[in-house]
Amino acid sequence: MGVARLKKAELYYHKSVHEEIAAALQESGACQIISTAEENSAPPSEIEALISQTDDKLSDIRYLSRTLTPHYVDPIPALDRMLGERPEVTMPELAELSSQTDLKKICEQVRGIEHETGDVRMKLSEARMNVSLLSSLGFFQYPLSVITEGTRTLTGLVGTLKAENVNGFRAVLGDFSQYSQETELVIAPYNEKDKAQEVYAALIYSRSIESEVRELCAKNGLSIIDVPSVFTGTVDEEKEKYSASITELEAKEQELSAKISEAADTYVPTVQKLSDYYVSLSGRYNEMARSYETDCTMLTKFWVPTSKADELKQKIEEISTDIELVMSNPAPDDEPPSLLNNGNTVRPFNILTELYSSPTYRGIDPTPLLAPFFWIFFGMCLGDAGYAIVVFCTILYVFRKYKKIPSGVKEFIRLFLFCSVSTFIYGVISGSFFGNFIDSFVPVLIPLKNSLMLVDPMTNPMQVLGISLLLGVIHLMFGLLIAAYDKLRHGEFINALGNDISWFLLIVGLCLFGVGLGGMLPPHFVQIGQGMAGLGAVIIFLYAGKGEPNFFKKIINGFLALYGSTSYLGDILSYSRLLALGFGSAVIGMVINLLGGLAADIPYVGWVIAIVVIVGGHIFSIAINILGSFVHPLRLQYVEFFGKFYSGGGEPFTPLTLSQEFVNVKA
Amino acid sequence: MLGLSLALFGAALAAALAGIGSAIGIGVAGGAAAGVMTEDPNKFGSCLILQALPGTQGIYGLLIAFFVLNKLGLLGGAGAVDLTWNQGLQILASCLPIAVVGWYSAIWQGKTSAASIQMISKKPEAMGKAIILPAMVETYAVLALLTSILMLMGVQVG
Repeated sequence: MGVARLKKAELYYHKSVHEEIAAALQESGACQIISTAEENSAPPSEIEALISQTDDKLSDIRYLSRTLTPHYVDPIPALDRMLGERPEVTMPELAELSSQTDLKKICEQVRGIEHETGDVRMKLSEARMNVSLLSSLGFFQYPLSVITEGTRTLTGLVGTLKAENVNGFRAVLGDFSQYSQETELVIAPYNEKDKAQEVYAALIYSRSIESEVRELCAKNGLSIIDVPSVFTGTVDEEKEKYSASITELEAKEQELSAKISEAADTYVPTVQKLSDYYVSLSGRYNEMARSYETDCTMLTKFWVPTSKADELKQKIEEISTDIELVMSNPAPDDEPPSLLNNGNTVRPFNILTELYSSPTYRGIDPTPLLAPFFWIFFGMCLGDAGYAIVVFCTILYVFRKYKKIPSGVKEFIRLFLFCSVSTFIYGVISGSFFGNFIDSFVPVLIPLKNSLMLVDPMTNPMQVLGISLLLGVIHLMFGLLIAAYDKLRHGEFINALGNDISWFLLIVGLCLFGVGLGGMLPPHFVQIGQGMAGLGAVIIFLYAGKGEPNFFKKIINGFLALYGSTSYLGDILSYSRLLALGFGSAVIGMVINLLGGLAADIPYVGWVIAIVVIVGGHIFSIAINILGSFVHPLRLQYVEFFGKFYSGGGEPFTPLTLSQEFVNVKA
Repeated sequence: MLGLSLALFGAALAAALAGIGSAIGIGVAGGAAAGVMTEDPNKFGSCLILQALPGTQGIYGLLIAFFVLNKLGLLGGAGAVDLTWNQGLQILASCLPIAVVGWYSAIWQGKTSAASIQMISKKPEAMGKAIILPAMVETYAVLALLTSILMLMGVQVG
């Protein structure tokens, strides 16, 4: 239970076996390497070479996976993959595969296809641009060589001008032509009303006045367009030529894309396996590079859980006899990483602690403390026996079908399996089965349902509100006691008394007082409550003034501290969400049944619609309510409960492991 | 019939205002999610969860609206109960907490969700914290829902 004990290991070995040692440490999955080399020092020379080799391979693999993966259709559905249905391989098999695969050659082939595709695409876009330009030049009847090459005496240009400027341009050109040589202006058909429209125009003129014409165009709003010099025939001829080339290029592009899909199908499975292999190797060498070296030996330090130390020692000593492994307990000034080590029942809740922040090595592991509360709170929020059965059966089905679920995912699913039990219990005692399904559709079962009901949030919500707030008080007071225990453990008696025990006395005292006044407890509890609350308040008052020399400031600090009780009021009221969310799921269920019932009245097809509404509606309701039932109890743990005693701040234990992104890798 | 109209007006406010808030909140969060997913489409799952968080206010509003309709006997052909204008006004008042708080809290929760989505784009391992921040805002919608429910249960009709 709690944070696992770790050993600090120092491993001295001869350089000749460093690869075997590295593999053994990584495959054990239980060693977190500690840096022994000085900052910025170069890694041991043997390892440096290996690192650069792996990096080289990795860069090829990344290139291939980046290029090919978008074209790859994974035969394994994503959900199956997440639940561990992936190829299984061993490290020796991967090494074998790596030696048989010529990554460089594959890269070359893929790069070839990629280049060719790029080339074709460029040509294609050029051809498309030419066709679109040619379409706008349809008004021009002469061969385009007049413009692109010109004849001995004539040449021409093409440009656009605004529709509103066309007549003006014509007039200017007319004036110009009177005392100069003839020019010919051809204007594309255009709509006179749309003044901002860009109109295409072609102008043919004698070579000798080229510069004057260009100047005139620039002054009068005709902007010249470059016509590619390859255009020589008439517009229609050129267009036909390029349309043909577009068809050809498109066929080529398709062929290339088929080629790359084929390459993806052939190579991606291999690339994925090799990716895991080289990511593992890269991780291994980079971590081992933090070792210390002499001429012939190396020293690697690492953390290992005490429970796995013996097994590891045995494995390492099998490698060579020239090895010295020293294990010691962490020194007081060491800050070891923390690994949560909880039994089967509490382990699914580890993730809740880890989502917040891992405890420090010497700190308290809050997981077993929060687990029962989270379990109850989740049950109250989802609070429906029918939903619980659906969740429970779905999870059992998943566990039966998938045998290789990765442990992290498996624990998370087990969390919901556990919580479905509390959901079922609360559903039964609050009489909720798919909302009010029983009342609406199966009246036979009403007596059974009613006989099992202990609380009824629908008709008597105040009762459930009271239970919610009471659970809140218990949760908060439990948190205060843990905080007090933690302080006492470190010998801080005064702080424990002033910060935690005093508030415990005050709040529990006030609750007893209130409940006693309400007549729910024998009258002498009123006096006990008064006494506890009074004592608590006095301690808080005195503790707040401690260390303040000025008498008036002492008093002010004391009152300010007592004013802090409002925050406890807020904390306790925050638990009213347990009622609200449980109520929410029950009423949403009720609404779905109601809609289903209304739909059933439609003649002939009514029952079909009713089934769709009820089944679909409840699935939606389960999804949305599970989200709420997870988030809100979690908030109660993080904000209200952890706020009293826990701040985390530990470094999680991250051992050197094999990468298993795409395949399940065994040693 | 003024009572019935007032009560229906309350139900409409609850469903409409809280729904508007959720729509805006989810919209804001969705924009951020889309931005993050252009970089890394694999974040779809976590982005979707964060985007869905401001959606609950709309559901709470709907829930209260149904609650009112049920109380008025408008669901399931039983016929509307008789309501004095005073009772109608009481029901209208009961709808206001979730209508107003649902509306505003969903918008702000959406903004927090969007910020959380930005956060997991850089630190995917911080998903737990990213979910809690928007949930802090939702607290007040939950409290408003509770207030509306308790108020509605207190109003005597028929």
